[in-house]
Amino acid sequence: MAIVEASASPALLEEAGQGRFRGWLRHLELIFPGALLVLIIGGCFVWPLVAAVPDPVGGDVLESNLPAFSEGHLLGTDPNGNDVWSRILYGGRASLVVGVAVNVLGLIVGGTLGAVSAHVGGLLDAVIMRVLDVLIAFPSLVLTLAVAQSLGPSQVNTIFALAFFSVPAFARVSRAATLRLREQPFMTAARLSGTSGRRMLFRHIAPNITPQLVTFSMLSMGIIIVIEGALSFLGLGIPPPAPSWGNMISQGQQALSATPMLVVWPCVVLFLTVLAFNLLGETLRARWSGR
Amino acid sequence: MTTTEPVTDDAREAAPGAVARLVHSPSVRLIARRLVAAVPIVLGVSILTFIVLSLIPGDAAQLLLGPEATPEQIAAMHRQMGLDQPPVQRYLGWLGGALTGDLGNSLVSGQPVTGELGSRLAVTGELVGLAFVLSLGLAIPVALLAAYKPNRLFDRVSMLVSITGLAVANYVIALLLVLVFAVQFAFFPAIGFVPIGQGIGENLRSMLLPAVSIAFPLFCFYTRFLRGDLVDQLRGEDYIVTARAKGIGPGQVLLRHAFRNSSFGLLTVVGLNLGTLIGATVIIEQIFALPGIGQLLLQAINTRDFVVVQACVVVFAVVAVLANLVTDLLYAVLDPRIRYGNR
Amino acid sequence: MSIEEVSELASPAPVYGGAEPLLEVSDLRVRFDAKGRRVNAVNGLSYHVHAGRMLAIIGESGSGKSVSSRALMGLLPPTARISGSARFLGTDLLSLSEREMRRHRGADLAMVFQDPTRSLNPTMRIGTQITEAVRAHGDVDKRAAFDRAMELLQLVRLPAPERRFYEYPHQLSGGMRQRVMIAIALAADPKLLIADEATTALDVTTQAQVMELLLELQERLGTAIIMISHDLGLAASYAHDVIVMYAGRAVEYAPASTLFSHVRMPYTRALLGAIPRLERTPHSLLPVTPGQPPDLTALPPGCPFAPRCSRAQDDCHAEPPPFAEHEPGHWWACWHPCEVGGPAEEGGR
Ligand SMILES: Nc1ncnc2c1ncn2[C@@H]1O[C@H](COP(=O)(O)OP(=O)(O)OP(=O)(O)O)[C@@H](O)[C@H]1O
Ligand code: SF4
Ligand SMILES: [Mg+2]
Repeated sequence: MAIVEASASPALLEEAGQGRFRGWLRHLELIFPGALLVLIIGGCFVWPLVAAVPDPVGGDVLESNLPAFSEGHLLGTDPNGNDVWSRILYGGRASLVVGVAVNVLGLIVGGTLGAVSAHVGGLLDAVIMRVLDVLIAFPSLVLTLAVAQSLGPSQVNTIFALAFFSVPAFARVSRAATLRLREQPFMTAARLSGTSGRRMLFRHIAPNITPQLVTFSMLSMGIIIVIEGALSFLGLGIPPPAPSWGNMISQGQQALSATPMLVVWPCVVLFLTVLAFNLLGETLRARWSGR
Repeated sequence: MTTTEPVTDDAREAAPGAVARLVHSPSVRLIARRLVAAVPIVLGVSILTFIVLSLIPGDAAQLLLGPEATPEQIAAMHRQMGLDQPPVQRYLGWLGGALTGDLGNSLVSGQPVTGELGSRLAVTGELVGLAFVLSLGLAIPVALLAAYKPNRLFDRVSMLVSITGLAVANYVIALLLVLVFAVQFAFFPAIGFVPIGQGIGENLRSMLLPAVSIAFPLFCFYTRFLRGDLVDQLRGEDYIVTARAKGIGPGQVLLRHAFRNSSFGLLTVVGLNLGTLIGATVIIEQIFALPGIGQLLLQAINTRDFVVVQACVVVFAVVAVLANLVTDLLYAVLDPRIRYGNR
Repeated sequence: MSIEEVSELASPAPVYGGAEPLLEVSDLRVRFDAKGRRVNAVNGLSYHVHAGRMLAIIGESGSGKSVSSRALMGLLPPTARISGSARFLGTDLLSLSEREMRRHRGADLAMVFQDPTRSLNPTMRIGTQITEAVRAHGDVDKRAAFDRAMELLQLVRLPAPERRFYEYPHQLSGGMRQRVMIAIALAADPKLLIADEATTALDVTTQAQVMELLLELQERLGTAIIMISHDLGLAASYAHDVIVMYAGRAVEYAPASTLFSHVRMPYTRALLGAIPRLERTPHSLLPVTPGQPPDLTALPPGCPFAPRCSRAQDDCHAEPPPFAEHEPGHWWACWHPCEVGGPAEEGGR
């Protein structure tokens, strides 16, 4: 007897079992961004140690604006005679260090704040929530700009300025996750069996919300790296001559028509890095929510 | 299960206790509640800004008078600027003025800030408005088409574009657009602003590239969000099965049932975005030299003109809070589940 | 309670001629291939429904009641693989394209679902949801659609229809919502109405009201009804014919009166026997039968009920019993059927 395809609306199409291919595709979701990140991180942190990469600063002005694939300069040089490839690698270090530091700050401070707030509840929760509301309604970039401007541009100041973004965001995610967790039966059981508040936080809440926070930090990495780029672009982040992708884009912009590649290269690596973090975050989130 | 008392818009029914009815209607109460909640947020933002600006080093007087200024000159300047008063008094003075619409005078130019803000808000408003029109105008049809046949070519391509597009920073897009359309082909002016007064066409031409820079990431975000929501509904919701069982076509099921319900979620997302878009306008206005509020803010920060900074921050906060408020209200007016006080 | 008591609940079967059945399902099979797992949800189901009759399909959860009826209307997701035939007035519904099927949905076959809260669009006025169904078939203008919707709301006895027309689902009670669902289903005068556990989500009183309404509408409009239920009592009280399903198959099929007085299939017997006596409420849910429900991904070669059956013998495990008309009008699938009037507890283990 002929097998009839279900005459369902095309809008209801579901991935029919394409077996092995889909299995591969599922892994590709992790492998692709993972490999990209390994390449980027390895390139920025390991490559300059094992291979001869020119200094990112202190270039010879006589060697300025060399085209790509010039001798000794893979991607050519900038108007100051600095090697572009080297500046990309060292600039990546700056971006990644800032991104990781800001996220770790957000994860620890914001994550704890949110979990404690949700766990303790009552007045403390209300106060913390109001403060978070203010911080969220607060145009953080403005604050960041003002702080960065006054403290003077530097990597450490950039980290603190950007923490204004990440701490409230992490606190919200962690609070929501903790609230959801509280409704689970095992939490009620733990509460009823007289588990102490601290023990609950460390033994039950922390391990359960950490995966969600880590997933969120992947997505947040992308955002922070973009904002760090913006700060540096506006001259309020990593101060030149030290390289960062943002200040490379900003410097390149001044001669956009003459040497567009000086803008394109940092843009491309910025894009790839953010893409890798976004994809990884999305995949983790999708797996986490069991889709 | 009890039946909710219906709130009809029937005039005959509303006539006797129209006011009482209005006051007790859930949507009006909702509005009132949200308004009351918004006030402390805006106050909090203004206080926080004030504290931050007082704490951080940097002095407009010093900057204005130059490094050779004597302490006496600086002190005189401070008196003139009103910076010699204690912070609490300064804040209260500022708040009193702000409540009457006077946001103070610029420390640098001495001009009233309120007037300056007005014209700049118009530019930023146009930029943001244009970006919303562009992004939503494209995202809605694309998401509908993608959800109509999920996992087919169009869906996959549009999802690929929106996932990769989300990873492109708006300033990167701005520079690439300038590179391609202004530098290579000279289709559009690279920078500069043409006021509407000098012709709508020219004005739009000068606004298009900046608006697209802001709109593109939004487009990607909305497309993904809407497509996901539509497909989830089509797959999982019972009322979709009911609609199909009536014998109406897939297009109608998508538009009349799925999209209708998704539009409420989309509205919320748009409202929330408005608050965060402000960051984007600062850098885009800087790149395209648009005389908007973001540019003003950046200038003020660089000259430590804290009166202007304070004013900009408060305006941004008010816009963000208002955007959320308006979203809630629209939601309350449009979504019957909330309009009638359920959920 | 004895079988006789149950059979008193059964309505007398009206005289019914041997006319062509409205719907004739034969050897319906549905399986789902998803994520490398194959679920055999329906495994060769055959039955027929005559115009003006009410057929009850009962069986425990997962026995394939919903899947088999949704298959008729083409409402299954694309992961479903369907075979067999379903002749509806000469057309094989299962061979239609989506576009052709659409013409029959609503107009010839309509469905009322279990959960009226989730089955109505929460953001659409009641009236719009009904007129939409009215206008889905035939060229009806707004005014006529409104009149028809009003008529339908009166037909299903929704109080204050003029006001309810403009209200939203959440403003109605559960029973009222289900009335609206019935109005939607009746909008285009379908010849067959499938009520998939239409009363399960309602309280007992409302349940009875909705069933009475269906019965009355059936008498007035001559609509055939397939009533899917967990509830033996409900089937006994309202249906003309009853099919008992197990593991995606029909295992017993007879007019309601015959079935409840002459149970032959041990599974049906177990269902009846597991009903607590006298103190039982008239419309209790299908009682839990001891043992594991069958694993639809790997059905045994013999009788699917064998692992739970107290009458099972070696041959039961070897070969599946055929579903055949052993007595006039009474079909069953069993190698060792129960004796009529035997002890009720005998069926299950
Ligand atoms: N889309 C699907 N994909 C895979 N399996 C499915 C799907 N839909 C239904 N099934 C399976 O088909 C079997 C029969 O389901 P069906 O809904 O017909 O049961 P039912 O008799 O209506 O039960 P209930 O009384 O709980 O409604 C179940 O095992 C179910 O898990
Ligand atoms: S065939 Fe055998 S196992 Fe199956 S129901 Fe009959 S007696 Fe029980
Ligand atoms: Mg079912």
